[in-house]
Amino acid sequence: MLDSLSASLKDALKKLAGKTVVDRAAVDELVKDLQRALISSDVNVKLVMELSKAIRTRSLDEQPPKGTNVREHVLRIVYQELVRLVWASTDVKLEPQTILMAGLQGSGKTTTTAKIARYFQKKGMKVGVICADTFRPGAYDQLSTLCLKINVPCFGDPQGQDAKRIVREGLVALKDLEVIIVDTQGRHALEADLIQEIIDLNKLTKATHRWLVIDAALGQQASEQARRFHDAIGIDGVIITKMDGTAKGGGAMSAVAETKSGIVFIGAGETVENLERFDPDGFISRLLGMGDLRALVEKAEEAMNADEMDINAMMKGKFSLRDMYKQLEALNKMGPIKQIMSMLPMGNMQLPEGVYDVTSTKMVRYRIIMDSMTGAELDEPSLITSSRLQRIARGAGASPEEVRELIKYYKMMQRTLKGLRGASGGKFNMQRLMKRFSGMQ
Amino acid sequence: MFGGLRERLQGARNRLASSIGAAATSQADAAGTDAIAATAPDAPVLPSLAEKVRIFVVDRELVVSEKDISAALSDLEMTLLESDVALPVSDAIIANVRAGLVGKHRKIGESVDALVVRALKSALLAVLGKGFNLTEYIKTHDRPVKILFTGVNGTGKTTTIAKIGSFLKERGFSVVIGAGDTFRAGAIEQIDVHAQRIGIKIIQHQAGADPSAVLFDTVQYANSHKIDVVLADTAGRFHTKANLMSQLEKIKRIMKPDLVVYVDEAVAGNDAVVRAAEFERTIGADAVVLTKADMDSRGGAAISIAHTIGKPLMFLGTGQAYSDIIPFSPAEVVDELLGGGA
Repeated sequence: MLDSLSASLKDALKKLAGKTVVDRAAVDELVKDLQRALISSDVNVKLVMELSKAIRTRSLDEQPPKGTNVREHVLRIVYQELVRLVWASTDVKLEPQTILMAGLQGSGKTTTTAKIARYFQKKGMKVGVICADTFRPGAYDQLSTLCLKINVPCFGDPQGQDAKRIVREGLVALKDLEVIIVDTQGRHALEADLIQEIIDLNKLTKATHRWLVIDAALGQQASEQARRFHDAIGIDGVIITKMDGTAKGGGAMSAVAETKSGIVFIGAGETVENLERFDPDGFISRLLGMGDLRALVEKAEEAMNADEMDINAMMKGKFSLRDMYKQLEALNKMGPIKQIMSMLPMGNMQLPEGVYDVTSTKMVRYRIIMDSMTGAELDEPSLITSSRLQRIARGAGASPEEVRELIKYYKMMQRTLKGLRGASGGKFNMQRLMKRFSGMQ
Repeated sequence: MFGGLRERLQGARNRLASSIGAAATSQADAAGTDAIAATAPDAPVLPSLAEKVRIFVVDRELVVSEKDISAALSDLEMTLLESDVALPVSDAIIANVRAGLVGKHRKIGESVDALVVRALKSALLAVLGKGFNLTEYIKTHDRPVKILFTGVNGTGKTTTIAKIGSFLKERGFSVVIGAGDTFRAGAIEQIDVHAQRIGIKIIQHQAGADPSAVLFDTVQYANSHKIDVVLADTAGRFHTKANLMSQLEKIKRIMKPDLVVYVDEAVAGNDAVVRAAEFERTIGADAVVLTKADMDSRGGAAISIAHTIGKPLMFLGTGQAYSDIIPFSPAEVVDELLGGGA
C-alpha cells in the first residue's frame, strides 16, 4: 500500500521535474499526494491540511531562486515546512536535572527510562531512577532488572501504593546523583485522578524536563492526548518509541506540533542501547515513504563528489565491480537502490525491475564476496573464470552460486547504465545525471 | 469507545442526506418544467433526463447521482480518517457507500435518511463482520481450549489475558495461564501478580527460558488437571523481526493453539493495518482483541483491523480493572454508531 503511495508521490514530483514555471495543477497534485502520504503516516488530519495549504501557497507565490528548477523549489518548500514542524531545539544538556516521564499505557515509558539512564551514564553523568509506577504489577521488577544490567541505582517500593511518597523518598535517597529520571504509571488524558497525580508529581519533583513518550503507531488520538498532557504539566519534549516496527511516527509529529516542543529521542529496539537522538531528515523520509529528502533538496553541485566514482568511465560503459562495490557501500547508508534511482530526474524512464531486486542483506553478502576478489578481478570482471570463481567463493565463505549471482547482478547494472546512456539521447544532460548519481552517495 | 465516531458519522449522515435531499428538489423542479416542455415539439433533450423524468413521474422515484453526494462523501472520508480509520480502509468504505447510493432509485416519500443510513450501515457491517463469542466457542470445542495471544509490544497482551481469565472464571470455566513472555524484564512478575489476584493457576519458568517449553508445560498441566482453557501469553514482538516471528511459529507448532488471538490497541493509527496483515500472514489470527478502548472515543482501529484481516473482534479492553472488558458485538455497535434509527 505504502509503496504505491510513495510511488504516486514520486510520480507527482516527476511531473514537476521538466517544468520551467510552477504549474498549478502539478502542485495541486503533489499536495494531494503529500496529504495522503502524511495521513497514512498518522499525522493529524487538521495539521496535514494546514501544512499542505502552506506548501501550496508558498510553492505558487514564491519565485524559485535562480538556478534551481521547479522541482527543487517545491521540494525545498516541502522539506522546510516539515522540518519547521518537528525541529524545535531540544538540546539534551549534560547537567544536573530531573526528568519526569509521562505517557499512555504501553507506550514504552519504563524501557525508555532505562534507555535514557543509559544515555546519560554513557555521557559520564551519575544517574538514578525512581519507579513511581505503583499500579502495574511487575513495573518495579522490570525497571530494577533493567537498571541492574547497566548499574544504575533504582529507587522504588513494589509494595507501595503512594507514588508521591515513593518519589519524595526517592529524591532524598538519590540526592547525590546528577540526573534523576522518574518513571510514572501509564495514564491517558481522560483519567482525571491520574492526571492530577502527575501534576502533583511534577510539582513535587520540580522536574527540569517533562518528556512525553509516544508510541510510533499512535494515530489521530496523539494530538488530543498531547494537548491534555501539555495542559497538565507542560511537556517540553517528545520521545518516539517502537520505531523498529513499520509505524511511521506521524502521531509524534502531531504531539510535537501540539506541545510546541521537539522530538528528543527515538527508541528503536528492545535493549537499553537502542536509543537515538532525533534526526529530522531520516524521520521525514520515513514519514513520506521516500528517500532522503534533504539530499534531494541540496543542489547537486553542493553534494557532488566526483572523485568517488569515475563518471566518465562509467559513461563509456566501463563500470567495473570496483564501482559497484563503492556503490553498494554508499547504498548501505542510503537505502535501497530503488530509492536512489527514484531521486534522479529521469522522467518516465523504466529500469528493469531486477535491478532493484537486491535486499540489504544481499548487498552485505555481495560486499563480502567482492572482498575476496583481487584488484585485477574487480577492475576487469571478465577475468573471473570458473577456478577463480571457486576461489572467491571459498574465500568469502559463499557458494559458487552466490558468486555467479553477484556477477549476474553486476552485468545487469552494467547493461542498465549503458541503457541509460543510450536512452538519454541528449534529451537531458547525462553528465549531470551521473554527477548527481555519485553526488547522492 | 465509539462515541466520537458516532458523533462524526451522524454528522456525515446528515450532510449526505441533505445533499441528496437538495438534489431531489432540483430534480423535482426539472421534472416540473419538463412536463410542460414535453408538450412542445422538440421535447426532452437529454435521454438521461428523460429517463429521470420517467422514473420520477411514472415510478415516483428519484435517482441518486454521483454528483449529488460527492461533496458529502469527501466529508465522510475526512470523518473516517480523523477517527483513525486507515487510509486504504476508508477508501474501501467510501467506495462501498458510493456503490450503495449512486444510481439507486428512491421512492418519493421514503426518507432520504433511511437510504443513507442503510448504505452506511451495510458498509460498516461488511467491514466489521460477525463478532466472536468466546464462551460459545469453548462450550462447543474439546477441552482444553488453547488460546495463544500475540501482538506487538505494549498493546496490553498480559493485562488482556488477566481480564479474559477473570471473565472466564466468573462464567465457571477453569483456567490456567502460561507465562510465555520470558523476555521482557518484569513480565513474569507482572502476570504472576495478576494470576494470584484473580486466583488462577499459572505455569512459569525463569526469565530467558524458551517460551515454547513454558507453554508446552502449561498445556500438559491443563491436560492432566482437566482444565477448560489455556491462556498463553507471549512476549510482544514486531512483525519486522524475522527471528522473533519464527519463534512464534515454533510456539504455535508446539502448543497447537485452538485460537490465535491478535491483540492491538484502539489508539493505533495506520500501522494497525500493516502489522495486523503481517501477523495474519505469518502466524495467522482467529480473533482480535482491541485494548485501551477507553482512551479513544473514535475506534477507527477496530474498523481498520477488521477490514484488513477479516477476522472478528472478540473483546474490547476498556480500562485497568479486571472487569473492564466487553464482548464485541458488531450489529450493536453499528446501530449505536448510526443512532439506531431507521
